[in-house]
Amino acid sequence: MLETRNLTKSFGAVHVTRDVSLKLERGERRVILGPNGAGKTTLFNQLVGELTPNSGSVHLAGEDVTALPVAKRARRGLSRSYQKNTLFDGLTVEENLGLAAAVHTGNATRLWADSLAKPEVREIVDEVAEQVNLMPFLHAKVSEISYGVRRQLEVGVALATRPLVLLMDEPTSGVGPEMSKGFHDLLNNLPRDLTMLFIEHDMDLAFDVADTITVLNYGEVVFDGLPEAARGSRLLKEIYLGSWEDA
Amino acid sequence: MFRHTALRYTALVLLAAGALFQAFTAEYFGLEILTEILILAMLVLALDIVAGFGGMVSLCHGALMGVGAYAFAILSTKAGIAPPVAMAGAVALTGGIGWIIGAICSRSHGIYFIMATLAFGQMAYSYVFEAPIFGGDDGLGGISRLDLSIIGVDLNDSRSFALFCLAVLGAIYGASVLILRSGPGRSLSGVMHNEQRMRALGLTVWRVKADVFGLSGMIAGVAGALAAQHILYISPALLSWTVSGEALVVVILGGLGTLVGPLVGAAAFVVLKHELSAVTTYWHLVVGLLLIAVVMSRANGLFGWVEARWGARIERRMADATRKQQPEEVLSDA
Ligand SMILES: Nc1ncnc2c1ncn2[C@@H]1O[C@H](COP(=O)(O)OP(=O)(O)O)[C@@H](O)[C@H]1O
Ligand SMILES: [Mg+2]
Repeated sequence: MLETRNLTKSFGAVHVTRDVSLKLERGERRVILGPNGAGKTTLFNQLVGELTPNSGSVHLAGEDVTALPVAKRARRGLSRSYQKNTLFDGLTVEENLGLAAAVHTGNATRLWADSLAKPEVREIVDEVAEQVNLMPFLHAKVSEISYGVRRQLEVGVALATRPLVLLMDEPTSGVGPEMSKGFHDLLNNLPRDLTMLFIEHDMDLAFDVADTITVLNYGEVVFDGLPEAARGSRLLKEIYLGSWEDA
Repeated sequence: MFRHTALRYTALVLLAAGALFQAFTAEYFGLEILTEILILAMLVLALDIVAGFGGMVSLCHGALMGVGAYAFAILSTKAGIAPPVAMAGAVALTGGIGWIIGAICSRSHGIYFIMATLAFGQMAYSYVFEAPIFGGDDGLGGISRLDLSIIGVDLNDSRSFALFCLAVLGAIYGASVLILRSGPGRSLSGVMHNEQRMRALGLTVWRVKADVFGLSGMIAGVAGALAAQHILYISPALLSWTVSGEALVVVILGGLGTLVGPLVGAAAFVVLKHELSAVTTYWHLVVGLLLIAVVMSRANGLFGWVEARWGARIERRMADATRKQQPEEVLSDA
């Protein structure tokens, strides 16, 4: 469904992505682990097209999308959430989700009707709000909801484009363990055919959801396999000593 | 995202009532001032759509209005096209030019966007100034107003023309609301709040900017064609960037991104201009001081200030009132 081949990116002399090759099957849920600065976010930016790799390619549903701009990739079914909230501050939760759903349904550029009032848009808004527990907050402005709820909305907005592949950059960063757990239950309840790639800091939480695990270190894939194998990996223990000990 | 509130409806009703009162009671000079306000109001609505709801602060809207005025004048006088068709042509032209400017400037933001639109405006200004067909510095005369004699209206009468402009302004206000609530209008609001995210969601951002800028250009074109019919003579000064600057002052004075505020701003600005210029030649100083006071007060213009002070209270009253009404309705149903 989503594949990268020998993706490489450097900023000057700093190599942030080294020869990364990944392959996600349809419906696969893969977690990317790795210490801070390993190049996880930079990899996401290249997947969605916000950064251009120096070499290598990105393939979505069998098509080489490396040369496609961000918006076109998104319309092909690739959607992402950000590590740092990237919401429509000042608008309501409903409007945040609606703007995304309007793009997906083609209403975002249609002149003759109110895109946010369209039945198909409202339907997606309600569905997504249900999926990520935003129902009670629909009419609240982003500035009026708590940080944890904003993190849910961050993923909700990405989901509202009804993507084939959902990329989530540390969706639970900065929220307590209680809420993170609840969030992972949410992810487990999403449709099984949705392909998910997400960055997670906490290993144990990652194991809740992951079918497969990729570990990045210094921009390089140092592990790619099943969660059980990852648990026993010595390399991983060394890289991840901090959070391993904590857990 | 645009929303009508009780306060906004109230302001609209008051403005319309004031305009109608003026239109029916004023003499020639008062009617001229009213018409000037109404045409400026159209221009500032066009500007508020792009600047207040899209973050596209344009310094070429005066030039777009001027293009509308010249296009109408040339088409209806030199090309001998019937005035209504000439007006439609002028509006289509300004819409097209607006769309192109919006598309080209869509990649720039902030000060660069302002400078790019200024450059387009100055290009139009110098072209109109230099090209012989436009009459250069002397301008163009011999313009006639639309002929509405079929419905028994003579637009050469100041009162009728003012009322006609009021009707057109009403239609433009309605169209502006529809534009802001349309797909591109909503998406543009999203772009203003977070362009990166809208793009990541799959929106072709430049298209939405160009579309709304084009629609806004059409409104500026209507204002231009009516300005030409109002003064019956046009000169390149109409395209000067200071016209755009003045429109921006009016939008900010009234309340950026409120649609109703700029209408208030247009009325306040023109009345102030005429009242003050009768007293002192330094009236610009007073307007300048007022603008500085408004900007320093951190309120969103005159209307924004009113909204911040009374908006919430009025909304609450209205909510209470409707809540009280509901049980009665249930009773009457039973
Ligand atoms: N635009 C950039 N210019 C220069 N260096 C960058 C840029 N973006 C990221 N980096 C560097 O790339 C490395 C990887 O960053 P990032 O992908 O954000 O890591 P992670 O998400 O795994 O914590 C970091 O060392 C960071 O400083
Ligand atoms: Mg990161």
